[in-house]
This record gives sequence, structure tokens and C-alpha cells, in this order.
Amino acid sequence: MKADCCIQISNLSKKYSGNDSFALKEMNLDIFNGEIFGLLGPNGAGKTTFFSIICGLLQASSGNAEIAGYSISKNLESIKKIIGVVPQDIALYPTLSGRDNLLFIGRMYGLKGNVLKERVQECLSKFGFDKNSDEPVKNYSGGMKRRINLIGGILHEPSILLLDEPTVGMDVQTRTSMMEYLKELNVNKKMTILYTSHYLEQAELFCDRVAIMDQGKILCLGSPLDLIRQENGTDLEDVFLKFTGRKIRD
Amino acid sequence: MHRLISTLIKEVKLLIVDKTGITVLFVMPVLLVFIMTLIQHEAYKSLSQSGIPVLLVNNDNDSLGFAIENGFKQFGICELTVDDGTIYKSSDDIKKRIVEGEFLAALVIPKNATNILRGNVDELVNVFFDQKSTVLKNPEQVKVEIIIDPTANKSFVMAINSGLKELISSIKTKLLFQIMGEKIAQLLESDSKAVLPDSDFFVYEEAYAVRDLKKTYQPSAVQHNIPAWAIFSIFFIVLPLAGSIIYERSEGMFIRLRTFPGNFLSILSGKLLVYFIVAIIQFVMIILLGKYVMPLLGLPVLDIGTHWFALTALTMMLSLAAVSYGLLIGTLFNTPQQSAVFGGISILIMSALGGIWVPVNIMPPVMQTISSLSPLNWALTGYYELFIKGGDWYATQYQILKLGLFFVFSIVISYRLYKLKTRIN
Repeated sequence: MKADCCIQISNLSKKYSGNDSFALKEMNLDIFNGEIFGLLGPNGAGKTTFFSIICGLLQASSGNAEIAGYSISKNLESIKKIIGVVPQDIALYPTLSGRDNLLFIGRMYGLKGNVLKERVQECLSKFGFDKNSDEPVKNYSGGMKRRINLIGGILHEPSILLLDEPTVGMDVQTRTSMMEYLKELNVNKKMTILYTSHYLEQAELFCDRVAIMDQGKILCLGSPLDLIRQENGTDLEDVFLKFTGRKIRD
Repeated sequence: MHRLISTLIKEVKLLIVDKTGITVLFVMPVLLVFIMTLIQHEAYKSLSQSGIPVLLVNNDNDSLGFAIENGFKQFGICELTVDDGTIYKSSDDIKKRIVEGEFLAALVIPKNATNILRGNVDELVNVFFDQKSTVLKNPEQVKVEIIIDPTANKSFVMAINSGLKELISSIKTKLLFQIMGEKIAQLLESDSKAVLPDSDFFVYEEAYAVRDLKKTYQPSAVQHNIPAWAIFSIFFIVLPLAGSIIYERSEGMFIRLRTFPGNFLSILSGKLLVYFIVAIIQFVMIILLGKYVMPLLGLPVLDIGTHWFALTALTMMLSLAAVSYGLLIGTLFNTPQQSAVFGGISILIMSALGGIWVPVNIMPPVMQTISSLSPLNWALTGYYELFIKGGDWYATQYQILKLGLFFVFSIVISYRLYKLKTRIN
């Protein structure tokens, strides 16, 4: 593994049983330490498959992925300890309060006692949960649920944060505030962030580098500005459409 | 251990916030045991405490009629109304009264029954002494009618029948000896008349065989029903547990659970441990009901024996078996509806086979063999050993072992199913 590489993907392929086509096809990718990396692509491009493989939820058909020097096929347990995961779906217990959900998640990552309580309180305050942190999650708005869902991934201050479309359903204010906080974590805690998104303007502003993928392959890779320049586009969306076309996907 | 405790705390919180759910979880089993025991107690009482109304129409008004009348009064198996044939004149009259629910059964002793019987016995003795023939030809028969409500309990009908036959047989024997005595006295030309004692030559003593020979046992609805229905209701923990597993699996939380460090089994163990504790609490509540609440209603106090170690081991294994079955159902099915229907009905079947509803010993031989495969039967056999037969650890160890093996089997199958369902390749 390269010295400054945080996530190294080598010839990674995934073919689901009963399906002729590849969800991922010989994917190669290096993500560097302290980088904010955006994985962009239309529906069915293979983003969630890739995300699931590096989280250990799916097994690759061939190839390898290494995270912080640990092979995903051999050292999954070590990887789970250093990553934070924010799933696309709201991964919370609706009848428990936001605080209780976070206390549970924190404990599962090994946080204990006052350190855990203080960390939970700090995150709740940061994300605007001063008043209703003890209410059941089922009473929260969609944006509030998303925020608690995000806190669940960063509570234990992982060195690598994996986010699968974390800002879906959020209003502009919440989205901006959340992305700023992630940027803060990236700068102050040197946290490597890999996220998938459909919000291209957000990726353009937020990411150090992006990869546009479709049909299981990476089509282009680079910083948003470099890609726009290379392709003579007006913005990242222009580049995106140039690579992936205008055909509506399932 | 830290993760196990974390899951334990989370599961307890999930249970506590669902106030209706937790009430149902603890109140319903106690209510079920309470009602079933009370109902069964009434059934015991009706056979033993003169509760069932029976009509005796004594048209005979002689030895046979009086013997039956006195016999039934002494048996005390029913509340006897006696008529000498002045009120209830025909079978149709009696049938109408039974249909209307006034009586559950009626016995009609015909007129001259004693005389007919005496005549038959007399003729039989003559045949014997005259040595002309060894066969009594066409004896006149006494027709005793038994009219029964078709809804009457079969065991009650059998008790009436056997009581009646016993009394008739007794009076027949008495007449036989009396007439034979008279004949022998005639032959010996003696004036002495032997008088047969009223008491029988046989005395029947009923005793129940229990392991502790110093212990006397009296059957009661409490001793039989509380363990049976406690097992049944504890097994119903399968439904909330399976529902909780399926709900968690179908929600986004499952993804997060699988990305946590540590074995997923430690997360699952926390859930199982909470439901295991719930099952133990349910059992303790039911035992307390039998010991302290039932007696307030006039029922006997539940005797749980003195073998605490065996009782604890059996209850723990029963709870583990129930919880592991819940895990199996929760892993096998994809929706709470599927698990509720299959889980509920399978418990009903296992309980019916296990002897919860009807005793295993009255089942056909094939069903008795199948019954021995039901975990509820293993638990029931174990509790009957401890609560009724005075058994100890040695008497219950095989039942405990079988429940333990069922627990291991369910866990292994669930784990394999889980692996299959969340196959990551």
C-alpha cells in the first residue's frame, strides 16, 4: 500500500448471483489520508455496492480493498474499529430518544462513562439538539433524523468516515451546516471522508477529489476544478452529464 | 462483554418505552394461568364437591332402589334429587327436564326391580341346588335407565355408570348370599338365619405414587395447571422476540449493527438475554400467583417442592428454549405477520402434543410417541416431577438436558440461517 494512501482499491469486481452484468468491474482507486473524496454517479452506477463492500456488508467477487493497511477480506474487524459509517437509510431506533440512540452507538464503539455522555452532549449541541434530544426519534422531522444518523457515524471520531448519501431530504440550511461540520472534522481531526451523493454542486464545493462512475466503472477522476477544466464544462454537473449521458436510469 | 451490556441496556430501554407492550408481556401470562386454573378448579370441584344435579327416580322403593339412592348420596359425586315416581312419571318428562338444564343426568329404577332381582337370584340358587340344569333360562331383566345431557363430561358419565354398576352388583351379591343361606338352612333343617353385614369385605384405599414416600399428594387444579399454563405462556415470548428481530432486520439499523466492531452474536445475545430475563420474571410471577393469590380465592397453595437447584435449572432451560425458538422464528421469517402466525400456531401444536391441554397418557399411542418430541412436554414432565411426584435433580435431569439441546439446536440453526440470509458473497 502506498504510504499516503488511506483506501486502496485494486481490481475490485462484484457480480451479484443471478445477474449477468457486473455491479463493479475491475475498479481501481486510491483515496489519500485526510482527503474528502466524492463518489458520484447516476442510480445503479455501483456507488452503494462499492460502499457496502468497503463497510464489510458485501463481499467482492474478486480484487481487493485495503483500508489503512488492513485488507477487507482478512482484517475486517480491525477496519470496523477505525471507520465510521453513515448509511443511506435512517439507522436509528424510532422509539428511543436521539440521546439514547447515540449512547447505544457510542457504547458499541467502546466509549464509556462520562467520556461518552460528554461526547454525545457535545454532538447534540453542535447539531442543534439542545431541547429535544430526549424525545423519541419517531417524533423528529426528516432533517433531525438525518442529523442524528450522521452523529452516529462520527461520535467515536473515526479516522475514516464513510457516508452514503448523507444529506438526502435535508433543507439547504441543515445541509450546509452539516457539510461545514464535516469539513471542520476533516481539517481539525485529519479525518478522511468518502461520501456518495447526487448533489453535484455540494460535491464541487466540498470535495478535494471526485470520481464519476457508471455501470460499475470509474469514468473520470480528479479535483472538481480540474475535471471542469479538462472537459471544458461550466460546472461539475456539466461534466457529469457529459460522462454519464442524459438517459433516465432505474 | 461491554457490547453485550450495551445491547442489554438498549433492549431494556426499548422494552420500557413500549409501556403497552411490557404490560401485555407480564400481565397476559399471569391472567392466562389465573383463568385456566380457576376454570380447571371448577371442573375438579364439580366432580368432587356434589355440584352436578342428578335425578334419581326410585320407582322400586325397595332394597335395590334404596341401595342406589344411599350409594350415590355416599359417593358424593353429584347433587342428588330423589323422586319416588310421583313427579317424574315417564322418560319423556325426564328428558324434557334434562334438555332444559334442570339436571345433567337421571337414573330411573323400574318398579319391582328388587323383586325381579330377588326372583332371578332365587331361581339361580334353585337351579344350583336342584341340579336339574346348570343354566338359568331367560331370566327376567331389570331395565335401569340412564338419561344423560349430551354435553355432559365423559368422565362424569363414566363415574355415574360405574357407580351404578357397582351398587347393583353389590345388592345382587347380597341377595345371592341371603337366599343361598336360607336354602342351606332349609337343607340342614336349621332355624338360624345368617345376617350379612352392611359393610363390604373390601376396603379401597386410594394413594398416589410419588417419589418421596413420606409425602402424601392430593391432586388439584393448582398443582397441575399452574406449571402447564406457565410453560405455555412462557413459550409465547416467541412472538414479541421474533417480531423484534424481524423489525430490527428490516429497518436501517441492521446495517449499522453489522458495521459495529465485534461479533454480531454479541449484539444478538444481548437481545436474547433480556427476553430470557423477561421469561424468568414471568415464571416467578406465575409461581407467586399460585402461592399467594390463588389461596385467597379458596384454591390450594401451590407446592413447588424443595429441590431449588433442579427447579432453577429447569426454569432457566425452559426460558432459554423458548427464547431460542423465538430467535429461530425471527430468523426464518421475513415479516412480523409470518412469524406471528407460524409462531403462534406452532406453539399451540407443541402445547397440544406436549400435554398442556389434555394429559399425554390419554392420547393414542402414536400421539404419545410424537408428544415426546415436544419441548413443552419435556418441561411439563420436569415440573410434574418437581411439583407433584416429589422428584429431584436426578428425576428432572433428562428433561433439562433435552431442553438444553433444543436451545443449542435452535441457536445453531438460527446462526446458519442468519449467515445464509445475510450472505455477503
